Amino acid sequence: MILDANNLAENGTLSADLCIVGAGAAGISMALQYIGSDIEVLLLESGAFEQETDTQALYAGSVANELLHSAPDRYRQRRFGGTTTIWGGRCMPFDPIDFEQRDYVPHSGWPFAREVLLPYYPAANRLCEAGDFSYTAATSFRDGGRPMIEGFESPCFSSDTLERFSCPTDFGRRYGERLRAAANIRVVMHANVSAIRLRAAGDRVASLEVRTLGGKHMEVYAGHYVLATGGLEVARLLLASRDIQPDGIGNQHDLVGRYYMCHLAGTIGALRILKPASAVHHGYEISEEGVYCRRRLALRPQAQRAQRLGNFIARLHHPRITDPAHRSSVLSLLYLAKPFIPYEYSKRLHGDEHASLAGWLAHLANVVTGPFEALGFAWHMLRERKLAERKFPSIIVTSRANLYSIDFHAEQQPEASSRVLLDDARDALGMPRLRIDWRYTAGDVDTVQRAIALLAAEFARTGVGRLDYDAASVEAEMTRYGAYGGHHIGTARMGSDPRSSVVDSDCRVHGVDNLYVAGSATFPTSSQANPTLTVVALSLRLAAQLRSLVRADAAVAIIEPSAAPAAAAALTAGATP
Amino acid sequence: MSLRVLVLGADGFIGGHLLAALAASDWATPIAAGRRPRAASADDSVARLQFDATDQAALTHALQGVDAVVNCISGNRLTIESSARALLAAAASQPRPPRVAHMSSMAVYGPGDGLVSESAPQLGKHAYALGKIAAEADCRRYPQAVVLRPGIVYGPRSRHWTDRVGRWLLQRRVGDLGAAGDGCCNLVYVDDVVSAIAQCLRRSDVAGQAFNLAMGQPPSWNDYFVTFARQLGAVPVARIGRRRLKLETRLLAPPLKIAEILLSKARMTSISLPEPIPPSLLRLWQQDMRLDVTRAEQLLQLQWTSLADGLAQSARWFQAARAPGGARTQ
Repeated sequence: MILDANNLAENGTLSADLCIVGAGAAGISMALQYIGSDIEVLLLESGAFEQETDTQALYAGSVANELLHSAPDRYRQRRFGGTTTIWGGRCMPFDPIDFEQRDYVPHSGWPFAREVLLPYYPAANRLCEAGDFSYTAATSFRDGGRPMIEGFESPCFSSDTLERFSCPTDFGRRYGERLRAAANIRVVMHANVSAIRLRAAGDRVASLEVRTLGGKHMEVYAGHYVLATGGLEVARLLLASRDIQPDGIGNQHDLVGRYYMCHLAGTIGALRILKPASAVHHGYEISEEGVYCRRRLALRPQAQRAQRLGNFIARLHHPRITDPAHRSSVLSLLYLAKPFIPYEYSKRLHGDEHASLAGWLAHLANVVTGPFEALGFAWHMLRERKLAERKFPSIIVTSRANLYSIDFHAEQQPEASSRVLLDDARDALGMPRLRIDWRYTAGDVDTVQRAIALLAAEFARTGVGRLDYDAASVEAEMTRYGAYGGHHIGTARMGSDPRSSVVDSDCRVHGVDNLYVAGSATFPTSSQANPTLTVVALSLRLAAQLRSLVRADAAVAIIEPSAAPAAAAALTAGATP
Repeated sequence: MSLRVLVLGADGFIGGHLLAALAASDWATPIAAGRRPRAASADDSVARLQFDATDQAALTHALQGVDAVVNCISGNRLTIESSARALLAAAASQPRPPRVAHMSSMAVYGPGDGLVSESAPQLGKHAYALGKIAAEADCRRYPQAVVLRPGIVYGPRSRHWTDRVGRWLLQRRVGDLGAAGDGCCNLVYVDDVVSAIAQCLRRSDVAGQAFNLAMGQPPSWNDYFVTFARQLGAVPVARIGRRRLKLETRLLAPPLKIAEILLSKARMTSISLPEPIPPSLLRLWQQDMRLDVTRAEQLLQLQWTSLADGLAQSARWFQAARAPGGARTQ
């Protein structure tokens, strides 16, 4: 069922076996697993079905360098469905190498291998509506699909792996009715967790303080608590809850908020394919299940190890939109349509550059001189993107001149000085706001620089094309738009040693028995892959683990002071209940 | 000793499969009963009686010397109710009342959600469900009756759930329906229904019982549509959006249904219109009711045909029937 905290009793209590904070990809995926079970679940959501300005403003904060990171209230949505409401839908699992400890990637290594997560990926893929869990062309297409660039066979790069695209699925719209219909799930809207209260011994969560922007206050009691509020807000909640642990929960070793990673992405160079235009298939193929799939140039794991590079992929991309010299009516049309494209997408399409009148006229001239191509594109995007429920994922422009650029997406190394922390300013609920100090390292630049150089060398060696780019501009290009928006990783990293991690391999906060973190905050490393699919897979694993724990602990864990005064006294004394 | 089994509704989908299985068995001698004369394609080694199944006198006569009866009569509420009443009265009048296996439906449960066992309240409200509920009430007064409540029976010659769905998939009118296809599809392969009926005829300890019939791990409707579409080669499977489904069920379905009725009355059967997708189907595809089949698994010792196997058989039949020279049985 779905409730609104504003309609609940002031200073009241809510109790459940399991409380999940945040109804985004992680929280909703977890809650769905308990439908029809005997586990009572509370799913707390700060927002409601639509974006609300005052709620979204709770995400506002500051950044150390506005050129390197977008504002904290961009690329994330504080509403039912979370940031899936503006998701682009790109899905791919993490690679086996991402879980390994690599001596050339500092602080790398997950506490488990990919095999541990593998059983949960197919179900995650289904929830993301990305079809079969099949991420190679050979396994996704009966005929193996068309090659990306005919004749390109490289020991360093594979073009056989795929990215698959969700509809994109807004988890709130897609799964809201199922949660509403479930008798044992209570979704509470407008419920902002403003503090995690530990019991005196600091080893268990006693309750959550919940407040609404309408002025209501209530306490939530549960046997187990899961923070599923996204990579930034998890850190904020842990750091801001300081009554028992003065540095914040799980922060005894100053790790919460640190090792903050996004991805390193950008567009670079001019790639001329020395093959007929028909030899290039850089766009989407549709799988049998109807899912858009796209090949990419993935740096093979053996090449990563041999070259001591982080994970890296590249795609063939259209030339930079802002420069009318591309003479493409389609790209110029996109340029002129900037006011109609959401900020999160237009930023990388257009950049933040201000156009001159001459530039604007040159784009207009491109459209006017190629009206049929532009019209065809507009019709395609209207029909297959705007009106379709499974949307054509992105702009694909086939170059008659066989000219492309390289769009890359690379792993960012964990780095302690890259962090989110609490600001002095406070939000409308009195919570400290976030300050983001995202940093990249020489190792990150090295990964991108040498991977692109390797790619250029492989194009040359195979004779399929020539990639011209300014090697000195790589760092500038990978930071042109700053950290890749929306991928908030590593702020409560997972590991077996409490001195170097915030949560254990079960995503449980070290030293706090009943507090868990779901989502990309726990990822120790960032992979080349977009995080959502792995966020969902890891959440499904957590849901499965908690299922048995919740049942076992239910009898002793839910203790409300009003209902159980003796137990409450024991809590205050820090005794084991 | 061979059981003499009268099959009412022997020309229908389930009746036809049952008749063939009984005829091939070494324990039963089937007798087909239908309203129409024997079809030219029918197996003439099987005895056949032609009568109206709502006619109690004809039934009383037909039941003489019969060990068991299977009621596969379908149709409207009146037919369902009156044929069941006539059959049970005729059966009760026999010197040795025969076992009656009565085909009911999961429709009796109505719009519920969650796991539904045989003891769940019967909340069905539409005419078909009310007919089945009334027929079951009559069965409860006849000690030798066994009631079977199958879910979505599919397989070769299934007009609704194989042929019609197959055509809609080819026409891209259904496919991946998103949230509108999340409901539980309580599929049961027709051979499993036939096995269940056979058990009901042969076992003495199931009289007076009712059994849900559906595969143990039923798929969602989306899974059913997508898997079947892939078996049929109706790929890539279309994503059907909410707007499109609303258009189909609310705007297109009513005039199509009216046109269908008018053409039928005017005997203009040569004109074929798209089959309407009624709003009731849209509700069914979202209904998250799952039949509890524990009792059928334990007492009837059923092992369910897997979706892959059932759909492979269904697709073979569907494609053969549509091939040049292929003939639909129905």
